[in-house]
Amino acid sequence: METFVQLVVNGFGKGAVFALLALGFVVIFKATEVVNFAHGSLVLFGGYLVVATRETLGWAGAAVLGVVSAGVLALLVERLLLSRSRLADPFSLALLTIGVDVIITEEIVRRLGVSLPFIGDAWDAQPVQVGGVTLFRTHLVAMVVATVLITAFFIAFRYSNWGVAMRAQAENKEAAALVGIRSSRVTATAWLVAGLLAGVAVLFIATQDFSGAGLSRGTHSIALAAFPAAILGGLDSTAGAIVGGLTVGLVDALSTHYVSFAFAKSAVFLVMLVVLVVRPSGLFGTRESTRV
Amino acid sequence: MWWVRALLWLALLIVLLALPLYLEAQWLRAGEYMMVGAVGAIGLTLLTGQAGQLSLAHAFFLLAGGTAYTVLAGGQEGERNLVGFNLPPLLALLGAVAITALLGIAFAPVAGRLRGIYLGVASLALVFLGLYFGQAAEGLTGGTSTGRAPEPFSLFGFEFSNEGDLEILGVPFRQSERVWYLFLGLLLIAFLLALGAVRSRVGRSWRAVRDNEAAAAVMGVSVARAKAGAFAVSSAYAGLAGVMTVLWFDILKPDESEFGTYGINVSIAFLAMVIIGGLGSVPGALVGAVVVNGLPQVLALYSTKLGWFTGTGEGAFTPVLISSFVYGAAIILVVLFEPGGLAAIGRRIAGRLSNPARGRE
Amino acid sequence: MTPAELRVENVTLRFGGLRALDSVSFDVQPGSLHALIGPNGAGKSSCFNVICGLYRASEGRVFFGDVELTRQRPNRLARLGIGRSFQNAALSSHSTVLDNVMLGRFALTRGGFLECGLRLPWITRTERRHAERAAEICEFLGIGDVLHTPVGALPYGAVKRVDIARALAVEPALLLLDEPAAGMNAAETAELAHTIHEIRAELGISILLVEHDMGLVMGIADRVSVLDFGRLIADGTPAEVQADPEVVRAYLGTDHKENA
Repeated sequence: METFVQLVVNGFGKGAVFALLALGFVVIFKATEVVNFAHGSLVLFGGYLVVATRETLGWAGAAVLGVVSAGVLALLVERLLLSRSRLADPFSLALLTIGVDVIITEEIVRRLGVSLPFIGDAWDAQPVQVGGVTLFRTHLVAMVVATVLITAFFIAFRYSNWGVAMRAQAENKEAAALVGIRSSRVTATAWLVAGLLAGVAVLFIATQDFSGAGLSRGTHSIALAAFPAAILGGLDSTAGAIVGGLTVGLVDALSTHYVSFAFAKSAVFLVMLVVLVVRPSGLFGTRESTRV
Repeated sequence: MWWVRALLWLALLIVLLALPLYLEAQWLRAGEYMMVGAVGAIGLTLLTGQAGQLSLAHAFFLLAGGTAYTVLAGGQEGERNLVGFNLPPLLALLGAVAITALLGIAFAPVAGRLRGIYLGVASLALVFLGLYFGQAAEGLTGGTSTGRAPEPFSLFGFEFSNEGDLEILGVPFRQSERVWYLFLGLLLIAFLLALGAVRSRVGRSWRAVRDNEAAAAVMGVSVARAKAGAFAVSSAYAGLAGVMTVLWFDILKPDESEFGTYGINVSIAFLAMVIIGGLGSVPGALVGAVVVNGLPQVLALYSTKLGWFTGTGEGAFTPVLISSFVYGAAIILVVLFEPGGLAAIGRRIAGRLSNPARGRE
Repeated sequence: MTPAELRVENVTLRFGGLRALDSVSFDVQPGSLHALIGPNGAGKSSCFNVICGLYRASEGRVFFGDVELTRQRPNRLARLGIGRSFQNAALSSHSTVLDNVMLGRFALTRGGFLECGLRLPWITRTERRHAERAAEICEFLGIGDVLHTPVGALPYGAVKRVDIARALAVEPALLLLDEPAAGMNAAETAELAHTIHEIRAELGISILLVEHDMGLVMGIADRVSVLDFGRLIADGTPAEVQADPEVVRAYLGTDHKENA
């Protein structure tokens, strides 16, 4: 029983991080219908900057810099590349992000070389005992941070001008443009938000508690689990991203323990496949109807 | 002007047939690696370009095809608990292609229900499953640490290996030379089949599904079947490329992480070939494969000669890394400036040559 | 062969709480030119999509001869002898005119990946025969000189004709035309009316036409059904319908001015 409680808490801890990634992914999709395959490279970029600057800036300063830089990089990708190709459809733009992902990821992996630094210094590897249950501090911090950020996001999404504009654009692009919503600003902000969230997520991923592995190509593949999280929740559902993220975290934690570490990654994707067969647009996604 | 084109293709074929007489083994191997890529890329361009279904699962089918061939053609090995069926290599190759096609069909309930981009992400699942399968099914794959050597291909008693002495026009024909002709033959079959299918009702049904599912259905196309069919064909091509991969490496060795011979990076490389060549263009897939699979090979060969990119370890610019940069950038440039890829550029040049007046407009 | 009759029986279509169609019934007599009209959002296209099986009727049935269309998958339609054009043309813009029209021959041909890939002699033979017929149909519709042009490079009027050619390539007994004149100018519309008239005269098939343009409909239709807010409010000859006060109120009163 204690093991199970521990697994569930760990699962939610990991899930909170996946939720942050999936949320960013969904925000971009809602704003532009583009599936951002470069999400993993944003994660790596933010993490790399933390590693590169923490000697001089101190951990907290480096973490802030990393988060902001990931956001700025996402913004730059959108402004410099995607917004330049107005003619391209979302499908081609998704392909374009694959190209971006390859370049950024390969360059950072090259720079990291053989060093695989952990970046969760402030809380990593200091488990706490609650009753008979061992809890990882990283997961606890991640849950708190994710709760705060996700709440903030939903408040902004609901009440801020950007949130309203964004929802209007997701509903109907032409109509949104007609009432004076500037699509380019909404889109750029969506990318910025997604990048910031990815920057936060990496602070928890490249830790001993989360993955037992430092910042590396492996971090990128962990970030890939944000895809099944977003997809099984429904690509265009922000609430779905949270549910999807938590589901992925739980499945990961439980299958690692009860089956094997190697199987855990497949398990996450298998759950996604099952959901997709039953509900092709995910749990909370809008069903597309054919229009002719 | 069709005969000009036919003549050009014929000339290319003759050059390719003659190359083993002139090229050193390592260059032949580089060429063979491009042909492996070309077969896989043709399959992917049919699926993603013609039928509009994004797939990142290509690497999984590569692994499945390679494993199927090795198991079907290989022998039992009691010590390592390896399963083998000792089938003649040709039968094993056909079996591997059939098995991967069936695996593609098994994925049809998912593939048939999802729209292009959803499918792309869903198909990632297969790569992860493949990774697990490669590690877990040691009796088939030989496991990640040692792998398993595939039976060399042979046709009617003729072995595509270093076995026996064979000399043509004074050039000794060893494994590299023989495999060159094997791969060239396989590529030719793959290429012609794809061209024929694209021009027929099958290709038409794929394009219809890509462009408007409702219209396709009303014209008599079963959308789910067309998608499943495209997936099966594309998987079969990837399976054949997988057989060629294990023959080329002379070993079947599953990956330890998502990055490797059958990893996500390979799926992305195939996608890059198809995008660079021009989505849906079969000849374009050939060119894309030459760029993406050829570049690291050629760079590696030149670099040993000239001393470029020979650094190793931390922060080194290896030929593989340089190639990744090049094709990553190529994807971006193609989407931004020439969505039709190299195929569109080729068509424009051809149009200009055959009709100079129009070209100047 | 006399074409079969199309019977729409009490079809209701609900989207959530919205009733797009409310117990709609009408018949399309064999060999007739029947128009389905109504203001925007009246449910004309929904009705078409129910007939084609793209939407599932919540209640009611549609028969074509003895076959219940509401129980068929949409891809059976072509094999039953029904061809359809689309409001937005729904063509492959990168493919040539001939390639698009040849899609209409899909149900009339066979051959899978291997047969087609190997270009077996019987495949090439049938392909050639069907291409000739497709070219003939294009000729008939006045697009015979652009067979090898990509559809994306054609003017709008020609694109709509390619769509009709594709529907005719099915060799239908019943042709469904979804707003063929949408977006056309007066001259193009007049030309199109002539073409539709010719199709019926030459091929003797039934035509069901959804249309917005009253002039076009009243000039060529044998019979007109009028939809308003998902309900059938009138059904009769053009003259009868035009005289119907409810039609005048619902449709002619508001929309006729715009189109005049």
